[in-house]
Amino acid sequence: WKKEEFRNCNQTPFCKRARSRKPQHCNLIATDVIIADGDLTAKLITPKENPHEEDSSSNPLILSLSVYENGILRMKIDEDPSQNPPKKRFEVPDVIVPEFESKKLWLQRYTKQVIHGDSADSFVVYLFDGYEAVLRSDPLEVFVREQTSGKRVLSFNSHGLFDFEQLRVKKEGDDWEERFRSHTDSRPYGPQSISFDMSFYGADFVYGIPEHATSLTLKPTKGPGIEESEPYRLFNLDVFEYIHESPFGLYGSIPFMLSHGRTRGTSGFFWLNAAEMQIDVLGSGWDAESSIMLPSDQNRIDTLWMSEAGIVDTFFFIGPKPKDVVKQYASVTGTSAMPQLFATGYHQCRWNYRDEEDVKNVDSKFDEHDIPYDVLWLDIEHTDGKRYFTWDKVLFPNPEEMQKDLASRGRRMVTIVDPHIKRDENYHIHKEASKNGYYVKDASGKDYDGWCWPGSSSYIDMVNPEIRSWWADKFAYTQYLGSTPSLYIWNDMNEPSVFNGPEVTMPRDALHYGNIEHRELHNAYGYYFHMATSDGLLKREGGNDRPFVLSRAFFPGTQRYGTVWTGDNTATWEQLRVSVPMILTLGLTGITFSGADVGGFFGNPDTELLVRWYQVAAYLPFFRGHAHHDTKRREPWLFGEHNTELMRDAIRVRYTLLPYFYTLFREANVSGVPVTRPLWMEFPDDEATFNNDEAFMVGNGLLVQGVYTEHAKDATVYLPKDHTWYDLRSGTAYKGGKMQKIEASDAIPVFQRSGTIIPRKDRFRRSTVQMENDPYTLVIAVNSLGEAEGELYIDDGKSYEFKKGAYIHRRFIFSDGKLTSVNLATSASEGTNFLSDCTIERIILLGHSSKPKSAQIEPSNHAAEVELGPLQIQSGARSSVLTIRKPNVRVSDDWSIKLL
Amino acid sequence: ENIIGVAPQDEEYYKGLSSSGTIKCKDGSKTFTKTQLNDDFCDCSDGTDEPGTSACPTGKFYCRNAGHTPLSIFSSRVNDGICDCCDGSDEYNGKIKCKNTCWEAGKVARDRLRKKIETFQEGVTIRKHDVEQAKLLVAKDEAELSRLKNEENILKGLVQQLKERKEQIEKAEEKERIQKEKEEKQKKEAEEATVKEQKGEEKVNVQEQESKGSNSEDDGKIHDHPPLGQDLNKGPADPGVSLAHDDDDDDDDDDDKDASVDNIEQHAEKNEESSKVAHEHDPSPGPGSKEEDASENAESLSREELGRAIGSRWTGKKAEQQQDEDAGTARNNDDNEDDETSDNAHEEEDSGYDTETEEDHQHHEEDDTEDHMDDVGGDEADDDSSEHKYESDDEMDMSDMEDTSNPSWLVKIQQTVRKFLQAVNPFQTPVDTSESESVRKEYDDASGKLSKIQSRISSLTKKLGHDFGSEKEFYSLYGRCFEIKENKYVYKVCPFKEASQVEGHSTTHLGHWDKFDESYRVMLFSSGDKCWNGPYRSLTVRLRCGSKVEVSDIDEPSRCEYAALLTTPALCLEGRLKSHDHHGKGTRR
Repeated sequence: WKKEEFRNCNQTPFCKRARSRKPQHCNLIATDVIIADGDLTAKLITPKENPHEEDSSSNPLILSLSVYENGILRMKIDEDPSQNPPKKRFEVPDVIVPEFESKKLWLQRYTKQVIHGDSADSFVVYLFDGYEAVLRSDPLEVFVREQTSGKRVLSFNSHGLFDFEQLRVKKEGDDWEERFRSHTDSRPYGPQSISFDMSFYGADFVYGIPEHATSLTLKPTKGPGIEESEPYRLFNLDVFEYIHESPFGLYGSIPFMLSHGRTRGTSGFFWLNAAEMQIDVLGSGWDAESSIMLPSDQNRIDTLWMSEAGIVDTFFFIGPKPKDVVKQYASVTGTSAMPQLFATGYHQCRWNYRDEEDVKNVDSKFDEHDIPYDVLWLDIEHTDGKRYFTWDKVLFPNPEEMQKDLASRGRRMVTIVDPHIKRDENYHIHKEASKNGYYVKDASGKDYDGWCWPGSSSYIDMVNPEIRSWWADKFAYTQYLGSTPSLYIWNDMNEPSVFNGPEVTMPRDALHYGNIEHRELHNAYGYYFHMATSDGLLKREGGNDRPFVLSRAFFPGTQRYGTVWTGDNTATWEQLRVSVPMILTLGLTGITFSGADVGGFFGNPDTELLVRWYQVAAYLPFFRGHAHHDTKRREPWLFGEHNTELMRDAIRVRYTLLPYFYTLFREANVSGVPVTRPLWMEFPDDEATFNNDEAFMVGNGLLVQGVYTEHAKDATVYLPKDHTWYDLRSGTAYKGGKMQKIEASDAIPVFQRSGTIIPRKDRFRRSTVQMENDPYTLVIAVNSLGEAEGELYIDDGKSYEFKKGAYIHRRFIFSDGKLTSVNLATSASEGTNFLSDCTIERIILLGHSSKPKSAQIEPSNHAAEVELGPLQIQSGARSSVLTIRKPNVRVSDDWSIKLL
Repeated sequence: ENIIGVAPQDEEYYKGLSSSGTIKCKDGSKTFTKTQLNDDFCDCSDGTDEPGTSACPTGKFYCRNAGHTPLSIFSSRVNDGICDCCDGSDEYNGKIKCKNTCWEAGKVARDRLRKKIETFQEGVTIRKHDVEQAKLLVAKDEAELSRLKNEENILKGLVQQLKERKEQIEKAEEKERIQKEKEEKQKKEAEEATVKEQKGEEKVNVQEQESKGSNSEDDGKIHDHPPLGQDLNKGPADPGVSLAHDDDDDDDDDDDKDASVDNIEQHAEKNEESSKVAHEHDPSPGPGSKEEDASENAESLSREELGRAIGSRWTGKKAEQQQDEDAGTARNNDDNEDDETSDNAHEEEDSGYDTETEEDHQHHEEDDTEDHMDDVGGDEADDDSSEHKYESDDEMDMSDMEDTSNPSWLVKIQQTVRKFLQAVNPFQTPVDTSESESVRKEYDDASGKLSKIQSRISSLTKKLGHDFGSEKEFYSLYGRCFEIKENKYVYKVCPFKEASQVEGHSTTHLGHWDKFDESYRVMLFSSGDKCWNGPYRSLTVRLRCGSKVEVSDIDEPSRCEYAALLTTPALCLEGRLKSHDHHGKGTRR
């Protein structure tokens, strides 16, 4: 990691300015408050001592507040268009889902109120049952409060740190250029940054704002007794050998923060802005010197938000439960796309599988060792000189045959396509892009020419929908020669990475379509590229094959287009450890389908580390092994029989749990609740979970504790209170509410929570494709009332027919010794039913008190034997758990099974 | 009747199901009944009850494959929609129809097996022959060695005698010379006295000059700033040197990594810079400023250079090499610049490839008398693979000793020496110049021969010190090289010596001979050229039985760790042939 290559806050003038401001810096007040078009709007003005002074920076700003369904307040602040600012400031398009507008609640009226003895009125509007939004005009503050108690939930500018640098016309003597190392930023529009303080009330911790390689809870960056650090930076960068425990920005940015506290619950705040952002989490007492009077009876976490450009377009989410906040955020930026089933399996990647023979060998070794996998990946070396959409003719002479051969065993292939286009007159993509003017321009208006893998390269201007559409067409089978329907795509380097650019990215004064400066949309560049690629895969199959596109850069909304991973990590225990909070944070901020390179990209993992990495990653949403080309081969069979077995077990457990994972992906697709969750999301009242980021939940049923140290024979696990926890392998029951020491030499500790039912498929095959018709096992872990519940979602695993109702969705309810399957699917339109002959071959009961001998199945009116069987079928397994043998009921039917 | 998925030899186990009604799982975990057999529910965790279904994940399914070889497959393959058994018996649930391809496949396999057996048989014969030959040749080598040692002893004595005689003569000559000088000295004494003073002065001057010169040299070494124009590449801060040190400890330690990254950049940058100095005579900053990072000094780098330098972090390639690659000249051949040669990065590759030129000269057609193996390994049907002989030390020119088995030359030399010793009287004055010349000549000849014998002894000792296998079956590979062409590279494997990868005029050493491994199934070559930012290259050669010695399947599964296959009769063991034969017959039955 090259610290000096990246700007710190002091080298970033807008950040330095904002950070040095003192509370009560802001002297704006709100006037002309009215309701218009269902919004509450106001002008923000500086009360003038001398009203004749001509200063564009004191033009009024326009503030508007809008209210949306389910507890969302939107606040926008921008320059007043009627004052003819030199340029329209950039508003990020195509992030907010179109449906969101239809959820707007049209405000009809406000009430006035005087707060804390203010000299001016405050304006109060309805927000949600029990919540109100308040615009306090002098001093300026916008906050959400509980209606009855009057307690604040979230507030904007309560410390008066709001500052909005308005665009000005350059005057003689203005020197707006900024220099960093050898690079000069011409900054033709001068300073235009925005900063403000935001307070979260009733908060014990704050979370979110990826991507940083840090803990799940965001440590304070400033304040008394706190070692002063950089603010959390949101600026998409290709960081070579990034380190853990650092607030520096990585590949993607999501300016969405959540707070959680035991008394108040959960709140969220999202700022839709694609320019560089820096965020301070302020330690308590940071404002001790100021005279601000804020309610002191509530825990509060203050934060400072700073952005180089753009406008204020922010969203306040009132919660109050963790899942409410993520749902509220998802209603703005969308839920995650439903992945194809294959994408939820194991992926095998390396930079690079060299040639067709190498591919064949690796593929056949998986079969030889009976290890399931679904996707084999090709990195940049498969291309003809890093010209994407082409193949190296010597190494990959027959790409179609290669893909068809893999597909004959149900396996997919993924190739890499990056946004830098080799400047080669004979390369068709370059020819068309330069001819059509589809490249990002430099400050002088010429095609921007940067350096990346292929050498001299230009970058497709993805913010333009026409260009995105052109790009999408490149994925047609007739355009991407050598591609077949089983080929999917990987977008790398889309921060964008520019080897010879400032901070290894594009200059901020580069120009995009519509005269947008790169500084204004930088963090969203990779998002638009991802979007265009995903659309390409959609188009090539006439819109009925769910795209799979992995991207390194991300932005709010990325979840609608595909998957992300945590980039070029390193083969160390610390990086295995930090991958968990990184992925959990992504899940909290909308992107549930994410993972980290298994084994670590750089360096050679010790065998033990590699095995542990497989064991943890098998429970994380995106499961891919990947490695740098300088590393030794590390496919799972290369480390001796015992280690092969451990890695095979890890991968197999993932495959047996795929029905559960797929059901959770559907839940995320519907609601925005992530597949893997921090413990506090499931146990928001259990304070011991709030800053636990070494364990996580898969859905509401499984708790996974990683092992992150060498030579560990056991692991200490906190099991949340008021539940019983069943060891996934042994079935042993543990009481919650305390730490438990669990044997962990051959597998990491995983528990099923009491009160849940988890569907499995215990027959693992070569890949997910061959598992389609295999029967299910249900594992019921009853709670203290002898009850349990779980769900199963099934569809064809690849198309969009499920949107027309072609799916099976069941709820299994166990109560009073009887298991019932209830239909959750809304009735499908004619002819779009999804049919499945799959049956349930085995039902396992954990924690059931009586010892029944048989079970009665209705409506078929037949009996099934009940006996003791193994919890997991493997050689030498003990038969110790209550098992209903061969109930053989169909998953698509309504039925009940009563224990006798 | 047959139980689906059960091998005939295992059917006995299931007999109990009809008589007693229940039997035990093989692992003893449970018992099961006849109705539980293949009922698509796993009762035995080891799969005993489900040999014919996919219900038990740890089970195996047996296909009879009449017409071909029976096969045991993982249970996970049963009814998975993919035809795994050639008789199609693994797919019986009607979802897919599998053609029975056993006869065709069996025929192909039988043909292949027949060929294999033929090869094996041929190989076994060759091997036998090789082993016998090796015994003879080793015996011959050993005989030669002991004879040479004997000769060495005698010759040593003669040489010693000649040396003594020579010294006596030289002593006499010296005496004579001194006498002469004395006389001359006396003659010139008078003259000397007059010129003495002048000479003395000159001498002082010369000394002065000399001491000045050496001082200025010291200056250059000690001072931090080399005088302008001095070649920076030779300076003590040479980047190649520091890189070499850093790369030695390539562990996973973060700090070390950072350090080596620093070096990569410094290296790339310094190369740029020093070449600039060399070409433009640009007064460059002192060495201190060069410690900075590549992009720190970005102003001095062109945009392109900066791009390359940053990109090289991920690729581990040096900037110039990437350029080569762009031009399409070399793929992945950055590795040529190993540290040993990076000292002379600007002196071109020549220095690194001296060995190659040398080797090229050494390659010559094998001489037919050398060994019988030519008949086997010699018919080079495969264009890509070929064989060469390297001249090992033992094949040096011994022609002046002609037939070394004939000791006549030694007798002759002994006689000559004796003659000399008798004839030449070292105490005679004046010394007979013709006689002294012949003594000297004879001494030179004899000591020349002695050193030849000694080096032959040492190479024979070295050769015989090698492990040629339990029956010396690998003896015939000594002194030979096997080549294969793969794309633009030629790979050369020389057992007991080294292995290399040649592209045009550049050679990369993949390893020096290390040892056999896995009881003579593998040859290891290690400590080859160091990979840039990686390990030392190594090559693992798997050995297979074949009638010819041929290298094939060269591969680089991990960076700089190569693998190849070598067929050789040495691996054709009779025992294994029998098992093959048996198998073949079994199938035909």
